[in-house]
Amino acid sequence: MSTSTEPSARSLLAPLDPARTEGPSVVATEPRPRIPAWAWPLGIALVATLLRVWALDRVGFNSDEVVYSSQAAGLANKADLSRLFPVFRAHPLLFQSLLSIVYRIHMSDFLGRLVSACFGIGTVMAGYFAGRSLYGRKVGLVAAAILAAMPYAVIVNRQVMLDGPMVFFATVALALTARFGVTHRPQWLYAASAALGLTVLTKETGIILVIAIYAFVVLTPGLVIRLRDVVVSLAILFVVMLPFPLAVLLGNRAKTGEQYLIWQMLRRPNHAMDFYLIQIPPALGFGVVAAAIVGFWFLRRERSWRETLLLCWIAVPIVFFSLWPVKGYAYLLPIAPPVAVLAARALARLPVRGVVRAGRRRIPALLLTGIVAVAVAATLLVPSWRAIDPPAGTSLLAGAGGIPGGREAGRWMAEHVPEGAQVLTLGPSMANIVQYFSLRKAYGLSVSSNELHRNPVYEPVPNPDRLLRQGDLQYLVWDSYSASRSSVFSAKLRDLAARFHGTVVHREYAGNRHPVIVVYQVRP
Amino acid sequence: MVAGLACGVVVALTSVPAGASAAPSVAGSSPRTPIQHVVTLMQENHSFDNYFDGYPGTDGPAKSTCVPVDLLAAKPCVKPFVIGNRPLTSLNHDRAALETAHNGGAMNGFVAAQRGRLGASNLTMGHYQRSDLPYYWNLAGQYVLFDRFFSSSPGTSAANHLFWVSGTAGPLAGESVPAAGLGDLPTIFDRLQAAGVSWKFYVQNYDPRATYRRGPHAERSAQIARVPLLAYTRYIDDPELFSHIVPVSQYFEDLQHGTLPAVSYIVPSGSSERPPSSIASGQRFVRSLVDGLAASPEWSTSAFIWSYDTSGGWYDHVPPPQVGQDGYGFRVPALLVSPYARKGFVDHRQLDSTSILRFIEDNWSLPPLAARDANASSLTSAFDFAAAARPAALVPADRPIATVTRARTNVVLVLYGALLVIALALIGFVIARMRPPKEIVLP
Repeated sequence: MSTSTEPSARSLLAPLDPARTEGPSVVATEPRPRIPAWAWPLGIALVATLLRVWALDRVGFNSDEVVYSSQAAGLANKADLSRLFPVFRAHPLLFQSLLSIVYRIHMSDFLGRLVSACFGIGTVMAGYFAGRSLYGRKVGLVAAAILAAMPYAVIVNRQVMLDGPMVFFATVALALTARFGVTHRPQWLYAASAALGLTVLTKETGIILVIAIYAFVVLTPGLVIRLRDVVVSLAILFVVMLPFPLAVLLGNRAKTGEQYLIWQMLRRPNHAMDFYLIQIPPALGFGVVAAAIVGFWFLRRERSWRETLLLCWIAVPIVFFSLWPVKGYAYLLPIAPPVAVLAARALARLPVRGVVRAGRRRIPALLLTGIVAVAVAATLLVPSWRAIDPPAGTSLLAGAGGIPGGREAGRWMAEHVPEGAQVLTLGPSMANIVQYFSLRKAYGLSVSSNELHRNPVYEPVPNPDRLLRQGDLQYLVWDSYSASRSSVFSAKLRDLAARFHGTVVHREYAGNRHPVIVVYQVRP
Repeated sequence: MVAGLACGVVVALTSVPAGASAAPSVAGSSPRTPIQHVVTLMQENHSFDNYFDGYPGTDGPAKSTCVPVDLLAAKPCVKPFVIGNRPLTSLNHDRAALETAHNGGAMNGFVAAQRGRLGASNLTMGHYQRSDLPYYWNLAGQYVLFDRFFSSSPGTSAANHLFWVSGTAGPLAGESVPAAGLGDLPTIFDRLQAAGVSWKFYVQNYDPRATYRRGPHAERSAQIARVPLLAYTRYIDDPELFSHIVPVSQYFEDLQHGTLPAVSYIVPSGSSERPPSSIASGQRFVRSLVDGLAASPEWSTSAFIWSYDTSGGWYDHVPPPQVGQDGYGFRVPALLVSPYARKGFVDHRQLDSTSILRFIEDNWSLPPLAARDANASSLTSAFDFAAAARPAALVPADRPIATVTRARTNVVLVLYGALLVIALALIGFVIARMRPPKEIVLP
């Protein structure tokens, strides 16, 4: 948070008061604000809520959402879905367990996503506390505002995915670690461990943030932690994480877990190495990324353990997931809060009074700050709104939103296709969606029969011809999203439809000129 | 008594509840039940015990059953056994063989009837089980299985097919189709045609050139036995009537286009299950027909009934009652699939293929064709028209998949819930107890 002193005309970013670079957080004396202090977090929370809830179920679930929602349904004893989707998979079940409580009362796509959105709003608030703990209230508010409108957070929080809730607990852990850094009291470290345990209990990849904390401690010589505190913290982390391996054992899924890990490590990369470099900066907001980098550079003389903590929290996931063969759009979401705090640190230092010298010209500081604020806000709000109201298209990035037409095709099948019918789709993602919404068993044509080349929870169809000849498959579903990824399987499915008297019984257009989903009825 | 039964059936048909009343969807007479489409199929050469020995709730052979090899001595004898992977052959099932098997009602001549037939003598006592016929057994579990459905005649396949369409064996009792054809013998299709009720006869691997005029030994002569209409001059020569006999592919097109007639007869060719041909192939054929119907809009007003022409020489332990001059043959498998069929019901009423005729006649108010169909029991008891139509469901050809047990999911919920509460309590405790550091107020 900036001081109330007049900013210098020589520098865009006002210097940070040396008293606030180390030690307890500080708050400047300011004139009594015209807007009450509580109004800012409330307003930010409202913006976050609006962006996360508006038209929340306009587009149906994608494959990942279907999986997590069906697990929650299974835990809520919804027999129809637990018959088709195993409750126990490779991931932990904290979020699904919470969602199952809601599903016991009422089950809908909207409610499923609403629970996820609530975690997203929680992340915004946790980001506020993290920013406030590190740099004061103003930085906390700006960080929260950035997180509220950040397309990356908005897009993921609007989906029933584990990453959103995981990042909520991770951000709480970050805020608590920041408190530990400020106070050096071990109790904050214990609490951070508990929050980190919940992070891992939501999604197992959260474990890499333990490495981030380790790196932070190692790179911060002034931070001394007693061995006893390390042991207690690790014990808390271990105990809180315990349900994950226990549930895997209870569900007899230990082998699946092993296979999943082997498959993840040995599978061919699903994206190029530059995937995150291309996808994540616009998702974070170019303005935010620029503010974080520029601020980091201009304020380098003020560098302290705070930046070390934030950089470790950012660098470890980036390095890990860049090296990890499987790349997913939502995987780097844990870096969003620390990036937002770093950007907020810079933006909060922009002057609002006086002038800024640019060569011979003197520009009113308020005007310049306003331009920067509008530019940053535009890089956040425009893509966020596009995520809420996506344009029609025939191809999609996995994990970046719902699948237009998928839910509608599934519901059409639920109404018009006899119970017990079995469906062959192009790939496992559409198989999940069709299976969830139609309650008809669906297989993916592209699922490899080689265990090393497929997700172990997917069922392969080694010989679709035989199943079709035997009458075990009665419907084929072609979709443009899977077809855009694999023309070979697209051609094969169309060939099967032609050879087995395929008749088109339904088409979904989802706002496109050409159908995005085609349902064929087939017979031997 | 039979007449009384028939009256009862008529009363039952006329007392259909208002909620299940039928709306006419086809030209001609309105059906008197919610059933607007009857589809009937005749497969070949299996007895009831051969297919459903051991099916719960049915009349199966006693455990002590042992049929002597020679009628003159009780031993040695052959007990019923599971066929498994044994090689199959066509069993002797002509009238003489059936009479030997019947042995005046003792039902102990089945092995003797096959004597001299290579590989067949003991085979007659073989039977299939659920794992061999998963689809049929699963269907029986969902719909209606008839365990006293007899072949209409102890005669040939052709005679039983003729019974199926005309209620009599006519000139076919033990004989092949006469050179002059079947003459003026009336069929159910004459009745339907006169009443303006739509009908079709679907034939697998249909060859429209294979009619009785080619002679009994011509290529594809089996088609004439299966499709009695091809032995009628009027059905061959009248283009309008002839157009009702179509390939089975037309059945699927009619289902898709919503043009399924009120009455559909279907006969197989390669998928007839007639030994030694594959029963799996027959199951697939039946499955495709039933699945096609279930997936069509006509499902909610349809009934699919299939049976077998003769017992094919296979053992069956129930002596057939003597009905009329031509009597009954042995029991054959028969099933009914319909949204109004009672679920998992085993119907013990005495029926034969003329019962199907009787149901069609009663449903569309048609006069009977002959004494047998006039006196036959209808299929009405197998339906529950008071209940709402069941939604279409495709029955799998294997056992259902086991589901996740509830107990374990509850343990998971408790585990995760407990640790969430503990962790949040710890975090809350720390936040509550650890006051934030004293804020420094800058000058």
